[in-house]
Amino acid sequence: MHSRRNLPDDKRVVVTGVGMVSPLGTGRKEFSEKLFAGASGIRAVSAFDTSGFPSHLGAEVTNFSPRDHISLKNLRRMDRTSLLAAASSRMALTDAGVVVSEENRDRIGIILGTAFAATDVTAQVADALLGQGPSSVNPILVPNTVMNAPAGHTSIELGFRGVNTTVTHFAVSAETAIAYAVSEIRRGAADVLLAGGVDILSKFYYEVLTRFRGLSPQDGRSEGARPFDDARNGYVAGEGCGMMCLESLASARDRGAKVYCEILGTALGSGPAAPTQWPVKTDGITRTLKRALGDAGIEADQIDAVMAAANGSDVLDRTEADAYTEFFRRARQSPAVTSIKGAIGESFSGGGLRACALALSLDEKILPPTVGLENPIASLNFVLSNQRAPAVDCALLAGISFGGTFAYLVFRTSES
Amino acid sequence: MEEKKRIVITGLGTLNAIARSAGQFAQNLKRGVCGIEPIDLFDTAAFRTHLGGQIKNLNPREHIPREFSHKRLSRADAMAMAATVEALSDAGLYPFPESLCGDTGVVVGGGSGGLLEAEDFYADLLAKGSARAHFSKLSAIYCASSADRIASSFGLYGPKTTFMTACSAGATALGFARDMIVGGQAERMIAGGVEPMCRITYAAFNALKSVDEGVCRPFDKNRAGLSLGEASAMVVMETLDAARRRGAKIYGEILGYGVTCDSFHMTAPDEKASGAVRAMRAALASSGLRPEDIDYINAHGTATPVNDVMETKAIKEVFGARAYSIPVSSTKSMHAHTLGAAGALEGVVCLIALSCGFVPPTISSTEPDPECDLDYVTDGARDKSLRAALSNSFAFGGNNTTVVFGRYDGEGALHA
Repeated sequence: MHSRRNLPDDKRVVVTGVGMVSPLGTGRKEFSEKLFAGASGIRAVSAFDTSGFPSHLGAEVTNFSPRDHISLKNLRRMDRTSLLAAASSRMALTDAGVVVSEENRDRIGIILGTAFAATDVTAQVADALLGQGPSSVNPILVPNTVMNAPAGHTSIELGFRGVNTTVTHFAVSAETAIAYAVSEIRRGAADVLLAGGVDILSKFYYEVLTRFRGLSPQDGRSEGARPFDDARNGYVAGEGCGMMCLESLASARDRGAKVYCEILGTALGSGPAAPTQWPVKTDGITRTLKRALGDAGIEADQIDAVMAAANGSDVLDRTEADAYTEFFRRARQSPAVTSIKGAIGESFSGGGLRACALALSLDEKILPPTVGLENPIASLNFVLSNQRAPAVDCALLAGISFGGTFAYLVFRTSES
Repeated sequence: MEEKKRIVITGLGTLNAIARSAGQFAQNLKRGVCGIEPIDLFDTAAFRTHLGGQIKNLNPREHIPREFSHKRLSRADAMAMAATVEALSDAGLYPFPESLCGDTGVVVGGGSGGLLEAEDFYADLLAKGSARAHFSKLSAIYCASSADRIASSFGLYGPKTTFMTACSAGATALGFARDMIVGGQAERMIAGGVEPMCRITYAAFNALKSVDEGVCRPFDKNRAGLSLGEASAMVVMETLDAARRRGAKIYGEILGYGVTCDSFHMTAPDEKASGAVRAMRAALASSGLRPEDIDYINAHGTATPVNDVMETKAIKEVFGARAYSIPVSSTKSMHAHTLGAAGALEGVVCLIALSCGFVPPTISSTEPDPECDLDYVTDGARDKSLRAALSNSFAFGGNNTTVVFGRYDGEGALHA
């Protein structure tokens, strides 16, 4: 496949490692087996009592033992988001075969997306401050109240000292982090960047999401995540961390690293939407998508799959389906469309896990199903719950957030 | 130089403890006005300290035209909107032309977002229980809210995101905005930072015992910590070509930036100063400048015992013998440490210094520290023509960002 852009190899960005702690398990092997088997990570919430809530399901992290991944010295200083981020980052570096050393550590970094980070720790500070007064605030808690704590802890645990940034923009936090990482590698600001997203599920968030009328079942019927399905009635809250190891093609080649796929282009965008509402109009999506293709130097015709953002919300799924129907109307082929939020839930920074899933899809030449999708709302080429789509060459990672924020990334197989 | 595109700043806007506009800011920076006083935003009786760089008597209606929604306007959003309206007006882009909406983006570096309002919600939650707390109040408190509000108020479709890297966020936002324009993702960006004061932040810094009970004294022998402040600072950034085409006045160029990480400790800087040294060197390399091209350094200069020695050491390492002849000032002595907004606010300081031709002073510093032996401009502002200025921002999590600005001498240049 050809791209109009003829970037030199040191400005072409490739994925050479993935690492994750997810509702589908920890680490590439377990995640990928369950992902392509069409398994679901959604079950009754076990971390807290949901009896007072209309919803009871969640996509919680399972099979994660922080001690397997993180040194005891650092482990006790970390909040849960930091544990997930550091563990996933270590796995991604290991998967990529990158060993942090005195020589390379200043050129290795992290760009992390998180919608909420350790807001639960901030809530503990608020408890002490508002309950007992300023002198009862425990200074030990303070370092974890900043949203860049997970990235900071990760750098300390893994010993790298390059670019270190934290991005937050709700449901596109991770996609934005990855797009920025691509830009930083192209700019020459780093040789190797970990990029992805982390968020955790807590009773506090569960309550907030319930009050904001996001969680299934909004219509009081059967609870579940059903992206793009006629019977969708809200999303299921999730958690997890997915990190990718990114570097230039030149760097990967020099190291003799395995390349999962290339990230050809990216675009970030905004569009009309109320602050906590999913966008109703399609123009934010289509404009951002167009710029992403422009950045990648390809045409809509060349896209043969979309890792969609749909999560089972009435409005989000409808807007996204309408946008693709409109955008690909004149394309020679209708891309396969799948959303894995039926399996991993909606964690807002799930773009990290979804990016890892897409990298694995391009590498293993199979697209995972949209778990929970049986009766589609549009005549797009959806990968239904019981299906797998065959090999794809060029795919989109879609990021859509309430408040009208968008991120599109173009992934391509690495054969060339 | 990484790319040939030259990126300039054509509009400034700010609200801070010593100014209600960029013009007033320039005057008061030159006069050496101190904005660190007893605060009245919340009751400090139970706190160890009582001072801060507060924006007194903030009335959003004085700054934000009636055409924009004032509904659920958090203090952070009000400050960010006010600075944006000012920056756009200053750039000659207000009312904002509809024809520019498609390729204009917004990026905000934030700290606490609407945490001040979240505290009220949380107090409510503690007092009344979750069933009776008003969760709808949370809709405007998230960190990404300011960028969302700016984008929706002006109908923007370009890249939109929010950085949360504590005290380096505002600086990273400026660098990111530059990348977006250089990379062709946007024609112009509204970029900056916002940080409102709030009890949780005030309590957190008090718990860490990093706040001076009096007015902060950067680089002074008896310095005893920082003074907390609040600010919004937004700029309009575009290509030099675009600015020239529309005959805009030009404050200066953003030449480059560097981002590094200490990988050392979550709240203490690495005393060996490696992270700070590498950030300054990366920013110089990105700018295509040599150390001898820098005529002014706006220091991070928090006035904590550790930072000021570390930063002095770092400047000496980067600039060698020339370090002693470059004026270095901490304007935090006037406007206090504005955390997430600091990098953007101090970017505005540099642009004012370059375009007005003066070195802003470090005030309140009277007794030299043998370990801090550079020229900290403690004898008042100096008229001086400056070619390039470097601004440091170091943060919790070990995040360091340095931005380099250059004077612009061509058509549209703005010099005193």
